[in-house]
Amino acid sequence: MSISTFMGIQTSLRGLLAQQRALDVTNHNVANANTEGYTRQEALLGTTSPLAIPAGALNGNGSLLGTGVDVMSYQRVRDQFLDLQYRGQNMSLGEKSARSNSLQQVELALAEPGTNGVSAALERFWGAFGDLSNAPENPAARQAVIDKARALADNINQLQTGLSTAVAEAGAELTALTASGGDIHRMAADLAGTMKAIRDAELTGAQPNDLYDRRDLLLDKLSEMGQVSVTASPGGGTDVALGGVTIVDSDDTTGVPSVPAGAFPLTFTTSPGGRLGALADLASPAGPLVAYQQSLDRVAQMLAGTAATTGATTVNDIYARDNPGVPFFTYTAGPAGTPVLALNTAINTTTLSAGAGGPGANQTALDIAALRGGAVDKEYAQLVTTIGNAVADARRQETTAQVLTDNLKDRRESISGVSLDEEMTNLMRFQRAYQASARAMSTTDEMLDILINRTGRVGL
Amino acid sequence: MGTRITNNMISRSVLADLNDIATRQAATRRQMSSGKAITRPSDDPYAAGRALALRNELGGIQQHSRNVQEAQGWMTITDTALGHIGDMAQRTRELVVQGATDTLPQTSRDAIASEIDQLIAGMKQEANATYDGRYVLAGSRTNVPPYDSKVLPVGSPPNDTYGGDAVKQQREIGPGVRIEVNTTGDRVLGGTPGNPGMLDVMRNIAAHLRSGDTASLGTQDLKDLTGRIESLLGVRAEVGAGINRLETAAARLAETEESATSLLSDTEDADMAKTLIDYSTQQAVYQSALNAGSRIVQASLLDFLR
Repeated sequence: MSISTFMGIQTSLRGLLAQQRALDVTNHNVANANTEGYTRQEALLGTTSPLAIPAGALNGNGSLLGTGVDVMSYQRVRDQFLDLQYRGQNMSLGEKSARSNSLQQVELALAEPGTNGVSAALERFWGAFGDLSNAPENPAARQAVIDKARALADNINQLQTGLSTAVAEAGAELTALTASGGDIHRMAADLAGTMKAIRDAELTGAQPNDLYDRRDLLLDKLSEMGQVSVTASPGGGTDVALGGVTIVDSDDTTGVPSVPAGAFPLTFTTSPGGRLGALADLASPAGPLVAYQQSLDRVAQMLAGTAATTGATTVNDIYARDNPGVPFFTYTAGPAGTPVLALNTAINTTTLSAGAGGPGANQTALDIAALRGGAVDKEYAQLVTTIGNAVADARRQETTAQVLTDNLKDRRESISGVSLDEEMTNLMRFQRAYQASARAMSTTDEMLDILINRTGRVGL
Repeated sequence: MGTRITNNMISRSVLADLNDIATRQAATRRQMSSGKAITRPSDDPYAAGRALALRNELGGIQQHSRNVQEAQGWMTITDTALGHIGDMAQRTRELVVQGATDTLPQTSRDAIASEIDQLIAGMKQEANATYDGRYVLAGSRTNVPPYDSKVLPVGSPPNDTYGGDAVKQQREIGPGVRIEVNTTGDRVLGGTPGNPGMLDVMRNIAAHLRSGDTASLGTQDLKDLTGRIESLLGVRAEVGAGINRLETAAARLAETEESATSLLSDTEDADMAKTLIDYSTQQAVYQSALNAGSRIVQASLLDFLR
């Protein structure tokens, strides 16, 4: 079989085109160097089908002559296994960081150790009673008791409000995220749309790399919220579940993905993990924040309750000894429904009693002052230590999760990220190859020039 | 193929390191400006709990110190008043011995009786001693003078009723340690029903002087008075012992306050020398990281390609 005279030009053309495509891919990579979720792409070059020819310049046994190059495919350079690891770790990070944020807010509300916290207010309260025991008839000492008692009640109420707010905020954020039309719903709808576009593209035989990136980025983002699982569905599509609830369902016969009707607002039977899991725990009556509220409630009870319920002599117990039926503190439901601690409104500088007897009697004041360092202080100090430990733990865990997530991100980036140095090198590589192909083409052209224009002109 | 390092990885790791150093530096700066090693419970939960307890303990010690000072003032006033009453009782004793002499003319006895009346008023005046505007010998009725110290005309019924009550006043001078600071006037001067005291004895003496009953003066009255003086000395000894106890307590509290303060400082105060050194080290690290970052992030093959 003879070979076309113009085959060299054809081969060079293939080279030119393929190098140009490779350059295009490089340009695409450079342009997307900072695009979130972008996976670098590669033009996979391969040789085109060779021509079977007889060996030898004119004649001979069969051999294969290369016909040049073509782009076999445009490949995303990505490791799916790292994606799974990353999503698992990102879920853990989402959980730890939501928990840590909320607990740190609570810690700030404590204002401990310092002069603005409940412990300082308690200290001043006991001190006021101590001073009253020294001078029960002194109006300044009596006023101080009233003021410090009010300040203490305010401090405890404020902290209780701070805790309630933290619980309410966690609940509100959870509701906002999982609501119909909420963030997760939007992400699920976006994901279903992207998956459908991928499916349509794949049906035409195309390989929609940038859509894959978008899908993977959405899955990454969802993984922060909770446990994401991607499973194959019978129709050839894939299903995506968040915390065990299917949020994108591919039709079992047609394989078309969509967000199932009625999936939102999301309700979970088990903890979904991730940020949602942390928020659910923080808002839950069995969660840590509610436990702190209960502990603070015990502190208030130890001031305003009775020994029968708190197991320790309370301020009200002592005060009622010489003033039967007169509580020092009241602890009753406020406008928000939660109990509010307050100084009994019937107690003022005139009615305040420091003990049974004349104006100099001080037994009550003496005994209340002696509660300093007792059950109330201990219960509160324990609350502070518990919160401190919880915050320290949460921060440590968040840092660890962050380091691990960053590590996986780096490993993923190491494979899929765009290295500008590499792209520049590729740019030169493909440019040179392009130039060389062009030179090869002009060489062939010159050759043909000799053949066409300079041969057969003997005597001309 | 080894690990590919992309430009984004470099930027992120430089940024993460800078952030890490800045965070640590912020914590050190907080320690420096607040002077505290613990500014939040989570800095060191155990130490934070301990600091709360120590602070409370320190507050308690300071409260007890104030109580001791207060009690000292109270008891010193009591002691002074009792001392003066004792002096007057001694003077009365001299007068009784003088008045019991049979050779003394009745006019002189009347004069002595008048002096006794004055001494009675003087004793009651002393028993009305106040501390910070409060009557120290009146039990809990600190707002009214326990005795009426007016001198009434001879022959009037005595105005010696004790106006206070028997309520004990205590001060707490240590955890669970209380001391009684008040002495009620009736223990010294009497004036309550069924409790003949110093004043009754003095009234008898004055009456016997006026009636010239030298026999009673020299025997029963002298004996009664001596008995009263002895019981007064007993009360004074109690007060004196209380004052001594307060002094010991004050010294002990000063020592405990010092040790609690230093313990609290060890627990929650920042070690300034260490903090400053930490800060300058972190500052140096931060600057070199910034420097390195600015070089690393800039350099790229692009700089060398035409």
